[in-house]
Amino acid sequence: MRERRASSALVVGVALVSVGIVIASLTIGTETLSFRQAWVEWRQDLPMHQAPTLSIIVQQRLPRTLAALIAGAGLALAGCVFQAMLRNPLATPYTLGIASAGALGAWVGTIVLKALNISFSFLSFSPIEAFSFLFAGLDMLLIYLLATRHTRMAPSVLLLAGVTLGMLANAGIMLMRYLAHPELLVSMERWLMGGVDVLGYEPVTTLLVGVTPCALVLLAQAAKFDQLGFGAELAAGRGVNVNRLQLVTFGIGSLMTAIIVSKVGPIGFIGLIVPHAVRGIAGSLHRVVMPLSVIVGGAFLCCCDIVARKLLPGETPVGIVTSLIGGPFFLYLLMRRKFTDWEV
Amino acid sequence: MTHCLEGKHLAFAYEPGQDILTDVDIAVRGGEVVGIVGPNGAGKSTLLRVLCGLLRTHSGQVRLDDKVLASFSSIQRARVIAFLPQTVNPVFSLTVFEVICLGRYPHVGALGGLGRHDLEVAERCLREANAEELRDRDFMTLSGGERQRVLLASILAQEPSLLLLDEPTSALDIHHQTEFFALLRRLCRKGYGIGVVTHDLNLAARFCDRLILLSIQRRLLAQGTPIDVLTEDLLSQAYSARIRVGVHPLTNTPLVTADAPEEEP
Ligand SMILES: Nc1ncnc2c1ncn2[C@@H]1O[C@H](COP(=O)(O)OP(=O)(O)OP(=O)(O)O)[C@@H](O)[C@H]1O
Ligand SMILES: [Mg+2]
Repeated sequence: MRERRASSALVVGVALVSVGIVIASLTIGTETLSFRQAWVEWRQDLPMHQAPTLSIIVQQRLPRTLAALIAGAGLALAGCVFQAMLRNPLATPYTLGIASAGALGAWVGTIVLKALNISFSFLSFSPIEAFSFLFAGLDMLLIYLLATRHTRMAPSVLLLAGVTLGMLANAGIMLMRYLAHPELLVSMERWLMGGVDVLGYEPVTTLLVGVTPCALVLLAQAAKFDQLGFGAELAAGRGVNVNRLQLVTFGIGSLMTAIIVSKVGPIGFIGLIVPHAVRGIAGSLHRVVMPLSVIVGGAFLCCCDIVARKLLPGETPVGIVTSLIGGPFFLYLLMRRKFTDWEV
Repeated sequence: MTHCLEGKHLAFAYEPGQDILTDVDIAVRGGEVVGIVGPNGAGKSTLLRVLCGLLRTHSGQVRLDDKVLASFSSIQRARVIAFLPQTVNPVFSLTVFEVICLGRYPHVGALGGLGRHDLEVAERCLREANAEELRDRDFMTLSGGERQRVLLASILAQEPSLLLLDEPTSALDIHHQTEFFALLRRLCRKGYGIGVVTHDLNLAARFCDRLILLSIQRRLLAQGTPIDVLTEDLLSQAYSARIRVGVHPLTNTPLVTADAPEEEP
């Protein structure tokens, strides 16, 4: 009982800080805006072009903030479940090669479209995003076929196949970079650094519709991940269908990651550090760690985005900021906290 | 209500061509402690996995209360049968009490939220397994024997009627070993049925109602009371070594010892 009250207090505290970050994200930027001004404009019922503050908040900052929240939350959750399923502390949403395959897809898409000079759109995906999503899907399919070749889903095969496919995709990216036209190179490099500077609500809607159901399915597995933490045999004895859990985690976790990567690029580090930081503070029970990772992941990416657009020159890609802030912070955590060794 | 788990003509192989178990009959009933003994690699762990439905028999059947075990859902099964594997390796650090609460899994909803009753059961099992002083320790930092006691508590928190335990005392000291088996006896008087794999034939002789002896040829060599099973003939055959059996001067139960090669006449 005592433990439970402490952890719900923690969740509320973290949620409050996150709300603070969201408010900051709406007001801080190249120009600092005030909500009061926006409110006045709202009350006067002005058309958008005569309401500068309101229009910046509603048309630029809000979708951007929402994109950061959803992407950060999804990536942190994916890291958390991959670490649990693969029983490996180094696992990230990208361990299974999804980001690299997605990036390769984006490259291939750009080049193919340039060459053929066509354009299309698939659901709300631009051609580049569609290719990125397609390649991530191919990566998943290949891994699935490999890992289930010998009867059951084998986490170690998942891990090895994923890392190998990731390396292959990276080699493909390097080749493309080497061959690419310099002009193309600039725009693709920018994509590879990751950013949440989405334009308008359409990408946000896609993210929301894609990520929410995935996240809910994964959150519902929390108790099973706790069991799996003590080994597949004990978990199976307690009534967990280990095979199905691994399949669901792999499928849904990868899908969620592919959707996010195709929209905002491969933003690094969140999936690794957020779950570990949360475990360091709140213990390892997944019914606490998973929701907290969702909140902290979203708030963290939002926070990094504020830094990217306010403190650093121009529009620095947020992927650089997550690593620049996250890396040292994680090292600090490693130094300060006693990390019990994962017995892999 | 007491339960009965019964396997008839069980056969199993991990790979084609192998035969790990061939034609094994076994029953674990409420109110008895059944010891499963035999040399390394004889198939004891495999037999337990088959018995609790983690592996499917190739022929024969496992029945729980006269219904085919496979017809139960895994959660229904876990409410009746608890299984403690030979090795358990956690990756997350949880406190001992949290580990014990994990045993409530088959009884709580999919989200794993614990009610007051669940916490009470966990507290009681902590006491039953004599692990109160470990309550708030990090499970990862426990010694091998302390871990086994805590895992037993987490198995008991499952509130099963049948326990299948794979070498639960392999890391316990002489006092805790004896205490552990005494606890099994107490549970069995309450109606629990217990199947326990052990290499300690002397403890098995003292605390088990029946023994099942598997041989390296992967067949059931003998089953019956400890006195019937623990004979020099059967044991020497099972272990392919010269095994001698006497009577323990203090407990009056069979006392088993193996000859070292250089001692052989
Ligand atoms: N997953 C597996 N795949 C193939 N063979 C296996 C597998 N697990 C066990 N075996 C083999 O099955 C046989 C029986 O193994 P089992 O673990 O049941 O023995 P055991 O009686 O429990 O031995 P011990 O006393 O050493 O624990 C052994 O020869 C072992 O090598
Ligand atoms: Mg064994």
